[in-house]
Amino acid sequence: MNRTSWLLDIWYNPKARCGFLILGGLASLAIFGPLFVSDPSLSVARPHLSPSWTHLLGTTGQGQDVWAQTVVGAGLTLTIGFTVGLLVTVIGAIIGVISGYLGGLTDELITALVNVFLVIPGLPLAIILAAYLPTGPLSMVAILTVTGWAWTARVVRAQTMTLRGKDFVRSASLIGEPLWRIILVELLPHMASLLLSTFIGTTIYAIGAQVGLEFLGLGDMGSVTWGTNLYWAANDQALLTRAWWTYVPTGVGIALVGFSLALINFGLDEVTNPRLSVDRIWRSRLHQLGVTPTSLTAKVELRSSTATSNSAAEIANKRGVRDE
Amino acid sequence: MNSLHLAAPPSSLSHQRDQSQRDQSQRDQSQRDQSSLGWLLIITLCCLCALSCRRDRAEQREDVLVVSVEQHSSWIRNFNPFSPNARRFTRAGVYEPLMIHNSVTGELTPWLATAYEWNQDYTELSFTIRRGVKFSDGTPLTPRDVVFSFMYLQRYPALDISGLWSIISSVEESANHQVTVILNEPFQPKLHDIAQHIIVPSAIWSKITDPVAFTNPHPVGSGPFTEVNVFRSQVFELSRNPHYWRKGRPAIRSLRFPAFPSNDQANLALVTGEIDWAGNFVPAIDRTFIAPDPNQRHYWFPLVGSMVNLISNTQTPPFDQLKVRRALSEAIDRERVVEIAMYSYTRPADSTGLSDGFQKYHDESISHDYQWADYNPTHAIKLLRDAGLRRDHRGWYLPESQDPISLTIDVVSGWSDWVRAAQVISHQLREIGIDARVRTSEFSSWFDRLRSGRFELAIAWADDRGSPYEYYRWLMGSETVKPVGESAAGNFHRFGDRAADLLLAQLKRGTSKAQEQALVNLLQRRYAQLTPVIPLFPNPQWGAANRQRITGFPSQADPYAPLSPNREPECLLVFDRLKPRASLAHGGER
Amino acid sequence: MAFVFKRLALYLIALVVSLILNFLLPRMMPGDPVGTMFARFRGRLSPEAMDALQQSLGFTGESLLDQFWSYLSALSSGDLGLSVAHFPTPVTEVISAGLWWTLWLAGISVLISFTLGTALGIFIAWRRGGVLDQTLPPLFALLGAFPYFWLAMLLLWVFGFQLGWFPLRHAYGDDLEPGWTWLFISDMFRHAALPALSIVLATLGGWMLSMRNTMISVLGEDYITLAQAKGLSSRQVMLRYAARNAILPNLTGFGMAIGFVVSGSLLTEIVFSYPGQGYLLVQAVRAQDYPLMQGLFLTITLSVLFANWLLDILYAVLDPRTRRST
Repeated sequence: MNRTSWLLDIWYNPKARCGFLILGGLASLAIFGPLFVSDPSLSVARPHLSPSWTHLLGTTGQGQDVWAQTVVGAGLTLTIGFTVGLLVTVIGAIIGVISGYLGGLTDELITALVNVFLVIPGLPLAIILAAYLPTGPLSMVAILTVTGWAWTARVVRAQTMTLRGKDFVRSASLIGEPLWRIILVELLPHMASLLLSTFIGTTIYAIGAQVGLEFLGLGDMGSVTWGTNLYWAANDQALLTRAWWTYVPTGVGIALVGFSLALINFGLDEVTNPRLSVDRIWRSRLHQLGVTPTSLTAKVELRSSTATSNSAAEIANKRGVRDE
Repeated sequence: MNSLHLAAPPSSLSHQRDQSQRDQSQRDQSQRDQSSLGWLLIITLCCLCALSCRRDRAEQREDVLVVSVEQHSSWIRNFNPFSPNARRFTRAGVYEPLMIHNSVTGELTPWLATAYEWNQDYTELSFTIRRGVKFSDGTPLTPRDVVFSFMYLQRYPALDISGLWSIISSVEESANHQVTVILNEPFQPKLHDIAQHIIVPSAIWSKITDPVAFTNPHPVGSGPFTEVNVFRSQVFELSRNPHYWRKGRPAIRSLRFPAFPSNDQANLALVTGEIDWAGNFVPAIDRTFIAPDPNQRHYWFPLVGSMVNLISNTQTPPFDQLKVRRALSEAIDRERVVEIAMYSYTRPADSTGLSDGFQKYHDESISHDYQWADYNPTHAIKLLRDAGLRRDHRGWYLPESQDPISLTIDVVSGWSDWVRAAQVISHQLREIGIDARVRTSEFSSWFDRLRSGRFELAIAWADDRGSPYEYYRWLMGSETVKPVGESAAGNFHRFGDRAADLLLAQLKRGTSKAQEQALVNLLQRRYAQLTPVIPLFPNPQWGAANRQRITGFPSQADPYAPLSPNREPECLLVFDRLKPRASLAHGGER
Repeated sequence: MAFVFKRLALYLIALVVSLILNFLLPRMMPGDPVGTMFARFRGRLSPEAMDALQQSLGFTGESLLDQFWSYLSALSSGDLGLSVAHFPTPVTEVISAGLWWTLWLAGISVLISFTLGTALGIFIAWRRGGVLDQTLPPLFALLGAFPYFWLAMLLLWVFGFQLGWFPLRHAYGDDLEPGWTWLFISDMFRHAALPALSIVLATLGGWMLSMRNTMISVLGEDYITLAQAKGLSSRQVMLRYAARNAILPNLTGFGMAIGFVVSGSLLTEIVFSYPGQGYLLVQAVRAQDYPLMQGLFLTITLSVLFANWLLDILYAVLDPRTRRST
């Protein structure tokens, strides 16, 4: 099977494509938008003006332009979100692969640590860390990485354990390839879709957690991000003053990012999960034939011999996979 | 991966019944599926309906004052008047002071003491204790209780937060129901602190072994509200003292305190009319609070809080130069700061740096003579050049430096009004070419920087404690200056002036009213000459009232006391005047 | 039962790790949190009392190990120190006021969300490709993408403030005496409705989707085909064969979700002034009340661990394999 064929398939998956388009739009807004808007922290007009042509989304309680704040806020928020997503995926993948491939005592220890981090509630830990660390984007990345790596490590470990028994990995280790080569060349590429899926999941988590922490006033309040926007909106009592425009755009922005990422994950799931995809193909065939599919008709099951029996995204969706 | 495979087929597979259902139509099936979903929806909706039915709210009693002070998610029971974390009104409600300093009128109102008197050289302060005062357990309040309350701080120095015993040498009961406080040295400005000391019953407190860790769950005091009859984490109630010494007072039955963890929540309750008296910051108050019921609601934000300053470390260049400090001051458009950071609830400071709490000392001529508190960016640039700074496209340079000046304004991250003020100021400073950035940090690290003097610019309050002596001492008194690196209790800008020291010493020694005025005028002028700090705006005292059930609140038209439940002894003056509306109609039943 | 004990060992390790974290954080962090913490007690505590407090929190001049030991021994006697912000009230007393409310809110939300999400997941998997299957997952993905507290703010504004259907704050009416009366309990539910709804809306999608996917996998198993071939009713196959097997993996996620939902409910509590741990934690952070902060972290972690363990027992009861494996 072509290892990367799913990458193309994702693009042809309508859900995923929709997700990519939304995300792309938001990302380009975050990258190029700041060139076209005024300084978001500058007070340009009277506080709490409702949306108008001069201020598309009105002004905040401090007289700042909400549109400018939303656009500029996207930049730092998404940067931190994707950085954390990447970092967590890399760290989680390395730990997970090492743990799963080496097995034995190392595995036992790492697994114990991973499980411990999984059961310790994340947000309280993040709040405490944020209280001790100096504020700033670096601290934020550090906090979110520390509280988020364990899940990826666990998923990657589970996948590594399956791959470990496969012929191509066995033979690589028999001909004496060094560990790093086995990990980088043999193992990791085979779980690319899994990594992508956890990357997406982690990014959603990172953006949510970051916004949450900043909403509590635990980030750098001097910077403009989506979290600080909501913090200030709450601080200026947007609800009470009925200034819905100060918190709705940011909330929608966050939701759109999360939604687009979720759509991509749906698509990835449909493409890489043989059961879901076979089911879907079967269904559309039936549809062409004019048969309405029901629970009884769709019992066709291809036991795929090439793909691993469970898809990446499916694993990622099952949050608490137990290993016995 | 094993785990991902699903459980083995259930054993029920073997004892399956007949095959007759085989030909059941798909259509039936789908209907049944849908009906089960339908049931689920119906049940959910029913639950929601049941939940959303309004429970009949128990009618709020006409004579209960609902107050919003302190923001906590749940109440912790603590009525120890010596504890800084006691519930609000413990120190002015459950217990009472000898006299009350009214920050609006600037006068001392006699309370548990009917009069005070200094001796000739301001070393002995005598109070005449009111007769006929009883504690809430019915025992009389005697001069002995007063002496005991002072001596208590000596016995437990940890309780002596305002440091009374650093200047008191002894406290004695004297003839004619009097108590005399003897000081180490002449110290007139300490009058307020001494007169507002809380009086507790000696019979009870002498038995407390660890008053620091004591939470006094069932307080016995002389104040108007002493009975804690409801105390839950969400709400508590303080009810009338059956033995209160002021006849027929208080006219309201009790004070009720719902717990509001945040301003948002307190304000929602204020707007919906659930709260009678609030001391929290309300944005756009005319629109949000007043508009729904302009006849019954009012607010009054007198500017009697402490002055908010932009302080610079005056021991490090370039802030050791008067011209630089003034340039910064003239670069700031205070109107804009006040409008954006404070919703125009306050006014820009002038060059005297006095808040309205010191109105009676304010010398108008000084703000005409010194205009460095007015916005004048062109003059600010000139001042910087005069100070010997160079400028190019990258910014301003110190005389010998290669790198442009880059400044940090330190603010506490949670203090949003100041953060906003700092943001506006940093923009305005950048407009005259000074690169100033805002740094927000947690209170402790911010405070550490200020105390040790390791900061460039910061927004901070001025310590005034209600007396001009304390105000100027912490602004310009040499004795309060600590070297950079050493922790200071105040005067974080580290500025001292010999001339001011002499004036302060005279003020401390005690003077007549006219002399005091003259001394404060001189201090004001000294301040305007030296610009030790850059005053921004006086802090308002937040106070809003809803007169729907209870009347008699102070207002701008009737300024007998501040309209802020946060002003502790002064709220006793308010409690005294509050009346339920019902009793107005019935001509007062009590 | 070996499984249950094996998991118990994990939770003990997790407990030790969080104890160590709690112990090390104030000692390792930049700045001087310990100094600040005690600086805030200065003037309030006599020097002896301060020494005693430092001793009980393990801040002594001894080696780290000895400090850890005295920290542990104080903990074992239930001494979490004194709260700075609520001085002189002990941390345990401050916490106990709100812990139950957090557990109640998080518990009921996670339960509703799980039950409803799983039911919907079973249903849309069974009728996959149907209208609901096409619309519900994206809809809930969109809802789940909004931050918890944002949804909470919206609900509060619309149903609490504008429409006045639900109370704006607190866990029960201020004018009610807590007790096992019908009035109080119904009021408790009424007050929990909006906060719980915001959590349910945000988390429902996750349960639904994972249940749907597991169901689809299960539906492909031979025994389902066999069951159908034998002519069992679709309903029976759906619920007794497919769903029963699919629910187990979903249940394992339940434990992890508790930690997650407790985290989320902290934010929701803040919006609704719910008297739980959420606002206490934030206030502790803002007031630099380190003893309270750490006490809260410890109790939240402990309760999540305990809930997880209870779930494991349930899991062992439901899944025969865990009972067999020794």
